[in-house]
Amino acid sequence: MYILVILIPLLSAVGSGLGGRYLGRRGAGLLASVWVIVSSLLSFVLCYEILINGATVYIELGRWIESDLLITNFGLQFDAVTAVMLIVVTTISGLVHIYSTSYMREDPHLPRFMSYLSLFTFFMLVLVISNNYVQLFIGWEGVGLCSYLLINFWFTRIQANKAAIKAMLINRIGDIGLMLAIILIWKEFGVLDYCSLFSTLSPSSACTWICILLTIGAIGKSAQLGLHTWLPDAMEGPTPVSALIHAATMVTAGVFLIIRSAPLFDHSPTATIIVGLVGSLTAFFAATVGLVQSDIKKVIAYSTCSQLGYMVMACGTYSCISSLYHLLTHAFFKALLFLGAGSIIHALLDEQDLRKMGGIIRGLPLTYILMLIGSLSLAGFPYLSGFYSKDLILELTYNSYCLISIYWLASITAFLTAFYSFRLIYLSFVSKPNLTRISAQHLQEADWNLLGPLLVLGVGSILVGYIAQNMVFAPGVRPLPLVPTIVSLAPVIMSVTGILLVFILRPYIIYYITRPSIYGFLFYAWEFNQIANYYIGSTVWKFGHTISYRTIDGGILEILGPTGIALFLVDRTKELSSLQSGLLFNYALIILVGAAIALKCLIVN
Amino acid sequence: MSYLILSIVILLIGILGIILNRSNLIIMLMCVELILLASTILLLFESRGLYTLFGQILAIMILTVGAAESAIGLAIMVNYYRLRGTIAVKALNLLRG
Repeated sequence: MYILVILIPLLSAVGSGLGGRYLGRRGAGLLASVWVIVSSLLSFVLCYEILINGATVYIELGRWIESDLLITNFGLQFDAVTAVMLIVVTTISGLVHIYSTSYMREDPHLPRFMSYLSLFTFFMLVLVISNNYVQLFIGWEGVGLCSYLLINFWFTRIQANKAAIKAMLINRIGDIGLMLAIILIWKEFGVLDYCSLFSTLSPSSACTWICILLTIGAIGKSAQLGLHTWLPDAMEGPTPVSALIHAATMVTAGVFLIIRSAPLFDHSPTATIIVGLVGSLTAFFAATVGLVQSDIKKVIAYSTCSQLGYMVMACGTYSCISSLYHLLTHAFFKALLFLGAGSIIHALLDEQDLRKMGGIIRGLPLTYILMLIGSLSLAGFPYLSGFYSKDLILELTYNSYCLISIYWLASITAFLTAFYSFRLIYLSFVSKPNLTRISAQHLQEADWNLLGPLLVLGVGSILVGYIAQNMVFAPGVRPLPLVPTIVSLAPVIMSVTGILLVFILRPYIIYYITRPSIYGFLFYAWEFNQIANYYIGSTVWKFGHTISYRTIDGGILEILGPTGIALFLVDRTKELSSLQSGLLFNYALIILVGAAIALKCLIVN
Repeated sequence: MSYLILSIVILLIGILGIILNRSNLIIMLMCVELILLASTILLLFESRGLYTLFGQILAIMILTVGAAESAIGLAIMVNYYRLRGTIAVKALNLLRG
C-alpha cells in the first residue's frame, strides 16, 4: 500500500499518456481521475497510520549508486512531514483531475493533459516520500519538467511557450543551488539520506553554506523574492494547472525542502535569519503587487507568492512544522480560489480580466460562496482554516528571537492580503457589471464535475485548519507563542480592517494604469521583470553574442582551429608553388645556392 | 695561386652569365662551357702542381662531356626554335607552378 500510493499516479500517467488514443477523452479523464482518487484515499489511510497512530515507515527499495564514497539507495520514508504532504498532493491532485475533466472538456488533447497531471503527481510524491536528497532531486526536477509541459500545454500560443521556458530557466537557477547544497552535504557529512544525516549531524561551519544553498533552491522553486518572476507568467497554463502546480503543490516543494532540512537549519542561525527575511520580504512584496493586478489569475498568483513567503518566513522562526501546517491549509484554500477563478473564467467564456467582470454574483451564486470562503480563509478570518495557521505564524514571528521587522512586514502583509482578496471578490462579483452582453447571457454555473471539487475544497478550507492542528504537530511539540493580547488580536483586526476598507474605498478602487505613478510601479510588480531583462537578460545576451560567440567561438577558436589552419595552409602552398617560376636562371640560382650551402656544410664538417 | 684565381673568376663569370642572362639561350650554353672550362683549367693546374695524371684524365673526360653536352644542347635549342620561333630565356616559363 505504501508503494502503491506512489505507483498508481505513474500507472495512470502511462495509461492515459500512451493509451489516450484508445481510451478517448472521456475514458482518459475517467481513468486518471479514478486512479488518482484511489491514490488519495490510500494516502488518507496512510495518514491515519502515520499521524494518528504515530507510525513511521521506512522502505528500502534497492540500491542505486554505490561507489566507495557515495552510497545512495532508492527508499521511501513515511513520517509526519511526508504524511501531511501526501494529503496535500494526492487530495488536491485528485480534485484537480476531476475538475479538469469538466474544465478541459472541449480540449482535444485531454488525455495528454491528464497524463501530465498524473505524471506531476507521481514526481511530487517521489519528491515528498524520498528518503534521501538525491531521490528528492529526481522529484524536484520531475515536477519542474511537468510544470514546463503543463504551462506549455497549449503549445501553439507564443506566450505559453515563453512562460514555460522562463519557468524552466528560473527554476534551474534554484536547482543549481540545491545541487551544490547536495554536493556540499555529501562532502561535509558523507551521507545523503535523511536518517543518517540528521542523526550524525554535528555543528560545522559548512552548515551555513549548505543552508544558504538550500535556501536558494527553495527561492527558485517556491518563487521567493528575486526568482519569483516565473510564477505570475506561469498563469499562461490552463487554470487547473495553476491550481495544482502553481498554487498548491509544486511551489511548496521549496518550503518542503526547508522543512525537510530543518535539523540542518537548526545549526545555522545565520541561514535561518536569511530565510525569515527572504520570506517576509516576499510576502510583503507579493501582497503589494497583488493589490493592483487586473488579471484574476495573477492576483491569485501573487497571493500564492505572498503565502509562500509566509511559509518560508515561518521556517525562519525555528518552527518549521507551523510552516507545514500553513502549507496544508494554504493548499486547500488556494486550490479553492484558483478553481473558483477557473469556474468564473469558464462561465465568462475565457475572460480573465477583472475589469471586464462585475456583478456575476447573480449568475454564479455557488461559486461566489465558495470564493468567499476561500478569500476569508486566505485573509485569516477567525475559525476558518487560514486563521489557525496564519495567526500562529504571525505570533511566532513576534515571539522569535530574530528581527522584529519580520513581524511588521508580516502584519502589513496580513492586512494587504485581506484587501486584495476582497478587491478580487468585489470587482468580480459585487460591483456593477462590465460584462459583454454575450457572456452575461450565457452566465451560469458549470456542471458538477467542476463544482464538486470546489465544494470539497470549500469544506476543506473551513475545516482543515481545525482538524489538522493537533495532527500536524506531534504531541507536545506545538509551539505556544507567548505574546501580548494586542499582538494575538492584531492579525484578525488587520484582516477585518482590510476587508472593510475594500467596501469603504470601493468607488476609489481604481484599475486604470497611469505609468509613472506608484500604481504603475506596483502594477509592473516592482519592475522586477524589466530590471532583470535590462540588466541581466540583455547583458548576458550581449555577452553571449559578442564575447562567447563572436570573439571566442567565431574568433579565436575559429582562427586557431579549422578555418585558420586551412587558410594558412592554402597561403603557404601558393607561396611554395610560386617558387617554381618556370624560368631557367631561377632554377640555376637555386641549384647554385643549394650547392654552395652543401659545400659549406661539407667543409665545416 | 694565380691559376686558382683565374679559374675561379672564369667560373664566376660563367655562373653570373647563367643567372643574369635573360635574353639568349646560346649565351647560357656558352656560359656552361665557361664553367666546364674553368673546372678543366683547375684540374689541369692541379694535376701539374701535384704531379699526378688523374687531373689530366678528368680534363679530357670533361672536354668530351662538354662537347657532347653542347651538341645535345644545340640540338634541343634548334628543336625548341622550330617549335616556338624564339630562344629567349624569358619565354621559357610555360611550365611554372
